[in-house]
Formats: sequence, structure tokens, C-alpha cells
Amino acid sequence: MSIRTILVDDEQLARAVLREYISGEQDIEIIAECGNGFDAVKAISEHRPELVFLDVQMPKLDGFEVLELVGSDVAVVFVTAYDQYATRAFDASAVDYLLKPFDLTRFKAALDKVRQRIAARMPSNLNVAELRQAATAPGQYTQRIVVRDGVQLHVIPAAQLDFAEAQDDYVALHTRGKTLLKQQTITNLERALDPARFVRVHRSFLVNLERISKVEPYTKDTRLAVLADGTKIPVSRSGFLRLKELMQL
Amino acid sequence: MHPIFRNKQFFRAYLPAWVPIGLILAGVLRYSSHLELRWIEVAAIMAPLTVVLAIVCLSAWYICRFDLRTTADWKLFAIFVPSAMCASTVVMVCGHLIVWTLGHVFPNLEPRFRPAIPVLAVMFCLVYLLSILLHYLVQALETSQRAEILSREAELKALKAQVNPHFLFNSLNSISALTSIDPARARQMCIALSDFLRNSLRLGERASISFGEELSLARSYLKVERVRFGQKLRVVQRLSEGCENCRVPPLLVQPLVENAIKHGIATLSEGGEIAVTGEHVDGRLRVTVENPFDPEAPPAQRTGFGLAGVRNRLEARYGPAGRLQIEVEPSLYRATIVLPWADGEGNQA
Repeated sequence: MSIRTILVDDEQLARAVLREYISGEQDIEIIAECGNGFDAVKAISEHRPELVFLDVQMPKLDGFEVLELVGSDVAVVFVTAYDQYATRAFDASAVDYLLKPFDLTRFKAALDKVRQRIAARMPSNLNVAELRQAATAPGQYTQRIVVRDGVQLHVIPAAQLDFAEAQDDYVALHTRGKTLLKQQTITNLERALDPARFVRVHRSFLVNLERISKVEPYTKDTRLAVLADGTKIPVSRSGFLRLKELMQL
Repeated sequence: MHPIFRNKQFFRAYLPAWVPIGLILAGVLRYSSHLELRWIEVAAIMAPLTVVLAIVCLSAWYICRFDLRTTADWKLFAIFVPSAMCASTVVMVCGHLIVWTLGHVFPNLEPRFRPAIPVLAVMFCLVYLLSILLHYLVQALETSQRAEILSREAELKALKAQVNPHFLFNSLNSISALTSIDPARARQMCIALSDFLRNSLRLGERASISFGEELSLARSYLKVERVRFGQKLRVVQRLSEGCENCRVPPLLVQPLVENAIKHGIATLSEGGEIAVTGEHVDGRLRVTVENPFDPEAPPAQRTGFGLAGVRNRLEARYGPAGRLQIEVEPSLYRATIVLPWADGEGNQA
């Protein structure tokens, strides 16, 4: 049985190399090729491939965002030209990757590992959020959050996120009066966002500093943060300390 | 903040530098008092007074804000002379206090000091004016040092950015793809890439190049990118006559073009057109690079170097006469460079 594969790269020539190398492999079947992240998410969700060759830098959505959106039950080989942080992160979490340009030997080696994984039905159990965090240059934070809502994809610029609320395995992202659910822990989200702009005011709440209009006392130890639109968010004692430090109250 | 507090060396050298001035002023004081004051008295008055003067003279820093080239002479005169007179008055008042205090030690000091007052007041004025001059010198020195450091740094970074590893490896990957699909194009791309690398190495080390050379560098860069992006990347160029001869710092336009691709064309799945224009207007060279971009795509993480480097280098070389301007329209991004026109012989027009 052949391994159903999707190629994702914004450069046609880069896909051509992959296609050429794959043509020599009997057990690999290319079922789709995508030139940008949106198409990739759509194709992967539709065709449910077993393997994806995924370029890291792409227009619209990058490789990590694509993976975040499709879930991680697919074998992935990242393909990148040059990114010192990403390659370090790949090495650390034993993710397969290819550095452009690569030769047939390298390609075959990567493919062999993938075959073993698929044959052993090893779940890829890749923590995309953590991988992405590790692949980001220090001091850099994500500028946008991607969420999938059925077939619809939402890209929320970080500045438009009002606050996030933990709900079991999900976070509810509140943005411009809308609420979107994303499968991610609030701690992971907190780490990805700029700590100078987003504060964890409570175990279950992460809030955009710019949205807070005032903080009022609630019970003995807790307070309420009132947002510009009137929403009230609980602030724990340690959360208030963090808030105080950032706002220099 | 006053530079003296920023630089420890300045700070340590400052008071000792006043010793000779103090000695001269002491001589002036002794002779202008018609030798009525004994040396010991002169020393007792002049030592603390020189310290006061040294401190007052530091205030000159705060009136050195006026640009000597652009402010009218009479204005400078009207600012400097009264402030020197004020400073002199302050010092003279302190002098009086010192003399009055010392009067308890040296009998009959005040009447003997009085004849020296006008001469001293004028001397203090002159010293203060001198201090203004020195402050301007220090300022000019600092500015030129900073400009030099900035331009060096920017140039170094620009050169590093030239061999943008991402660009290089992606291009090599494209060549690798083409070797089997289209060997002729692979060779063409090898040559375009070598041309670009050679050009950027050769031009990058020169202080200034002609705008024509800079454009050909940008073109060799675009040639490589065109092989990578294919039909997605289209380029138009509009140049007014003769503007290729203007002297420009190297690698000023190329980063804008690179930016236009990275944040513009690459964000559009169907690609777009980059427009490069050059004009000679009002004794200036104006260069614009325009590109469409995807307004839906939130800003990617930028290294931010491209434009900041260009801006720093323009400022370091031309001061306020050179500038980089960014305009963002709904789906069009325009970067404009304006710099003073200078032709092949280095003549400013």
C-alpha cells in the first residue's frame, strides 16, 4: 500500500525537486500539491494524507501554522532553506527535516524514517505549539493566532485579541465581540504571545493589557479587571502582582 | 544630558584643564587691581572663583542647540552675548560673596578688589564665549563620530544582509531543481546568482557608486528571483534621463527591492509587479520602489533590518537632506528615497 503524500511549498521549483525524487519511490503517491498555507490546510483536511512535505516559510500561513490547524496526526517532513532556530528546534524534538538544497541520499534517509514510523503506527504526537515556540528567535513573539472553525480559517492579529479563557483542553479567544475556540492550552498561548502585551491575570485568563480600562477590588484577595467593552475578568492575587508590575501601578 | 557626565574621561580632564585659565585670570586680577592685591589674596579669591566659572561654563551646552549654519548671525549674536553677560554676572556675584567672606581673613580686601571688577567681568564674558565655541566643537566631534559608527555598522549589516542565507539557499535549491527539468535555465540561474554575488561584493566595498550601477545590482538580484518566482514576479522600470549618473551609496536600492519581494510579491499567491522609478528633480535624486501586497496577511515577523539600514545610512551620509519615506496604501506599498544630486565628477548640482 502506498503512502499518500502532499507537497507544500510556495516555490514551484522546490516542489519539482520533491516530485522528481519521489518519482523514484514506488510506495509514495502524491495526491496533492499546494503553493500556500491556506491551500495546504484545505488539502490536508480533505485528503487526510499520511505524509506531508511542508515548507516552513510560506505566504499566508507558515508551516507551523498549517500543522497547528490540521492537528498532528500526520507524518511531517519539514523543508526549509535556512533557519537556525527552526533547525535547532527540529533536532531537539526529533522531527524530520530537509535543508534546501538536499540530495537524493538525504531525501531517502528522511523517507526511510517516515516509513518506519508509519509502519510502526507510531503516533507523531508532535506538540506543534511547543515546536513553534522553540523555533522562534528569542525575543520574537507571534503576531497572529490561527484558528479553524469547521471549514473556516481565522487569522487573528495578536493586537485584536481582547482576552483568552481556558476551557479544559481549549482556549476561548475573544476578539472584537466574537469568541473562537482553539485546541491549545492557555499556557502555550501565553508563551507564544508577547509578555509585555498579554498578562496571565488568572489561572484561566490571559488578557490584552491595552484592553484593561480599570481594576476594581472584588473579594479580599481577588480583583476584577474591567475591559474597555465592560467585560469583567477575575484577577487572582498573583495575577494582580504581574499586572501591577507591567502597568507600573 | 551634558556630554561631560556621559564620558568619564571628559569629566576627569575638565577641572585640570581649568588650571591654566585660573592662572591667567589670577594674573589679570593682580594687575587690574594695580598690584594692590597680594598673590596669596589673589589665589584665595581666584581658586574658588575658577571652580564656579568652570561650573557656570557647563551651561553653555544648553544654548548650543542652535544650528550655526541655519541660524542667522544676528540671532546667534543676540543669544550668545547676553547669555555670556548673564553668566559673567553670576560669577561676579559669587566673586563678591567670596571676597566678602575672605574679608574676615584679609583686612580691607573689598576696596582693593573693586578696581579689578570691570576687567574681570569682561574676561569672564570672553571665557564663556570660548566655552560656547568649545561646546560646539565637542558637539560636532560627537556627531561625526556617531555618524561614522552608524554608517560603518549599517554598511557592515547591509553587506551581511546581501548574502541573505535564505535567499542563497533557496536559489541553490531552485538550481538543483532545474538541473534535471531545464538544464539551460539552471545554468542561466547559476550565472545570474554569480553576477549578483560578484556585483554586491565589488560595489559593496566602494564608498559611492553611480545610480546606474546600483540599478544593475538590483536587476541582477531580480534576475535570480525571477527564476525562482517565475511569472509571479514582474518588474517595470521608469527612469528620467541622466539619472543613472547620480552618485549614491552602494546597496541602497537593492534592499528595497528585496523587501518588495519578501513582504510584497511573496505574500501574493498570484504574484505582482514591482515598479522602480528614478527621477532627477530640484537638485535631488528621487527613487521609488512600489509593490502590491496582501493586506489580509498580517505582518510576518520582520527582521526589520532592510529599511532601518537604508534609513540609517542615508542619515549618516546626508543628514536631513537624505530621507526614506514609506507610504502604505490599501494594497500598495511605496518606499521613496530622496538624496542630494551629485554627478559623476562629485559636483553637487
